[in-house]
Amino acid sequence: MTLWDLTQGTSATISAFAGSIEAGYRTRLSELGFYPGETIACVMAPSLGAPKLYRVNNTVYSLDDSIASMIEID
Amino acid sequence: MPPSSPTKIALIGSPNSGKSLLFNRLTGLNQKVANFPGITVDIGAGRSLVDSSTEYLDFPGVYSLKAISGEEKLAVDSFDKALDTGHLDAVICVVDATRLEKGLIFALQVLEACRRHNMPLLIAANMSDVLELHKIPLDTHGLAAALKVPVLSISGKTGIGLEQIPSAIASATAPTEAYAPTGDIITSDDALVHRQAQQLAKQYGPKGDLLINAQTRLDRFFLHSWVGGISFFVIMYLLFQSIFTWAAPIMDGVESLLQVIADLVLARVPAGMASDFIADAMFGGIGAFLVFVPQIFVLTLVVGMLEDSGYLARAAVICHKPLRVFGLTGKSFIPMLSSVACAIPGVYAARTVDSPCKRWLTYLAIPLMPCSARLPVYTLLIAAFIPAQKALGGLIGWQGLAMFGIYVFGIICALLVTAMVSRSSAELRSDLPFVLEMPPYRLPSWRPLLRNAWNRSKHFVTKAGKVIFIVTVVVWLLGYFPNQGASLGDSWLGTLGKWIEPVFAPFGLDWKYGVAILTSFLAREVFVGTLGTLFGIEDADENFVSLSQQIQDSGLPLSSGAALLVFFAIALQCVSTLAVMAKETGSWRLPTQLFVSYSIFAYLAALLTYQLVELLV
Ligand SMILES: Nc1nc2c(ncn2[C@@H]2O[C@H](COP(=O)(O)OP(=O)(O)O)[C@@H](O)[C@H]2O)c(=O)[nH]1
Repeated sequence: MTLWDLTQGTSATISAFAGSIEAGYRTRLSELGFYPGETIACVMAPSLGAPKLYRVNNTVYSLDDSIASMIEID
Repeated sequence: MPPSSPTKIALIGSPNSGKSLLFNRLTGLNQKVANFPGITVDIGAGRSLVDSSTEYLDFPGVYSLKAISGEEKLAVDSFDKALDTGHLDAVICVVDATRLEKGLIFALQVLEACRRHNMPLLIAANMSDVLELHKIPLDTHGLAAALKVPVLSISGKTGIGLEQIPSAIASATAPTEAYAPTGDIITSDDALVHRQAQQLAKQYGPKGDLLINAQTRLDRFFLHSWVGGISFFVIMYLLFQSIFTWAAPIMDGVESLLQVIADLVLARVPAGMASDFIADAMFGGIGAFLVFVPQIFVLTLVVGMLEDSGYLARAAVICHKPLRVFGLTGKSFIPMLSSVACAIPGVYAARTVDSPCKRWLTYLAIPLMPCSARLPVYTLLIAAFIPAQKALGGLIGWQGLAMFGIYVFGIICALLVTAMVSRSSAELRSDLPFVLEMPPYRLPSWRPLLRNAWNRSKHFVTKAGKVIFIVTVVVWLLGYFPNQGASLGDSWLGTLGKWIEPVFAPFGLDWKYGVAILTSFLAREVFVGTLGTLFGIEDADENFVSLSQQIQDSGLPLSSGAALLVFFAIALQCVSTLAVMAKETGSWRLPTQLFVSYSIFAYLAALLTYQLVELLV
């Protein structure tokens, strides 16, 4: 399962990053709060494949499929 | 303290921490305030309003001191360099108190940097007005004790706590030890910084999800599959409508005022060359352009309002998928929308597009977006060629429809160009991931918005006005001599114009339009001024007839008018845009390429339009 598979209103804990993710993005995502062990909630999953809104700490970010599917969840 | 060596205090913070507003508040300077992540990039500087021996420096907002993108690296380097060279006396780290954990991750990095450079640090927990409103406590004393640096609870919006900044700065000392709550060895490990920030936020920070819940409810509305779609179109429609309905009465006012002044002045000047100059060049040329300033004011205001409310970030989410079809990303939406006001802020806003390829493609789209400098030309031509009648039983005016059509035409051109170019190489097709912070929804702060719109209009009048003034004077001189305005066709300008006439003859335009088009390559709105001056000289009796009426009377066919509209929609006739683009991209290569290719594109498209309309009408 990846973050992209989370449906609206559910949450999950990040387990790992996909091996293919670029190092820079991995660092940035970690700084934003997306790092293994952190619980992420999907607050909004718009239809038509638009980027989904994820909440981490007290901030909301929108991530598109290309990046959300590189973040693995338990 | 001598004025040459003020105390220099750096402001640093993540995008959307409210740093710009705070900076404005402290210095009274008019920096643009924007509720979109990453919009501040240059370092602003300004003297403190309360103490002129203190200077605040506004560093670009960054998410982290470990940069990953090129722009960000420049920003981080500028801060590092300032710390290294000892130019700074203290640092204020601005964090959004409503999202303390995120702010603290950054603050801990700044704290470490200040410790290494022995630099006094103050942490400003901003937006405390929001916390107060919801009665959510924040333990600044506890936080200060834990971090061993002063922490102030402030609000850049209401001004809470700002008066304490000078004394807090004066007593602030450089952090002496790295923050390590559990006493374990100091590491720069990301995960550790995280844990620390999380613990601190949990212990001292605001509790509860109140703010996020309200935000989520709004997001579920604005991003709902059809409610969100409809609201998107309604908001864009209102934006468009506001330019015309709100600005129209002000424009009429400016026009009447100019007319009153013209009558007053001309009554006092004896007939002759001076009066000809005042009537033709001053009121005919410059007056014609001043009328459009209200539109620019309203447009800047409305775009700024949308940006400030937080809605634009949602619009970027909505547009991400559709824009991808055209080779762009959701992040291209904000620069493109800003370009509807003016391409220059659009070019600056393109910095927020983090993928270099997508940014490059966004640059291609920007000059084709229907900017407000085109508006004078569109309004003039549409008034001259499209009857002011209503269609569909009075529901839609033909003129409004034509305006809408030419706007949409520009946008379609922009998208087609990026779609085609992005498909031309694999590199341009590639995608970078889309990660965008969703700022909280906020009621716009009116004062900075109004000030920004006012400044933009003023800038437009003074900068563009200067060019227009010089051009109209030169055009007038060339057109008035050597025969004192007796015959425009035999003037110097007439001779010159006939020389270039063949270029524009294929659209059925005479040399006067040729000259106006040529001068409009400085800036589009110069077209109106030049034409106004030329018709003014030609028109022997000095009664004021509107320029559009004069164009009608001159018998220009509809096909030529349509060709002109299309030409202006595409051609990149703006020296300022080219210059800013050269500055942003670091070379004149892209601006030169765009200038040449869009000129050719515009010419061919105008030719085609002329032929088509000739065939049909
Ligand atoms: N309620 C509240 N809003 C603020 C405050 N400071 C800034 N804002 C709003 O936060 C948004 C971002 O502010 P800005 O100064 O552009 O942030 P920057 O990106 O850090 O420069 C704007 O919509 C501001 O109106 C504050 O103290 N209280």
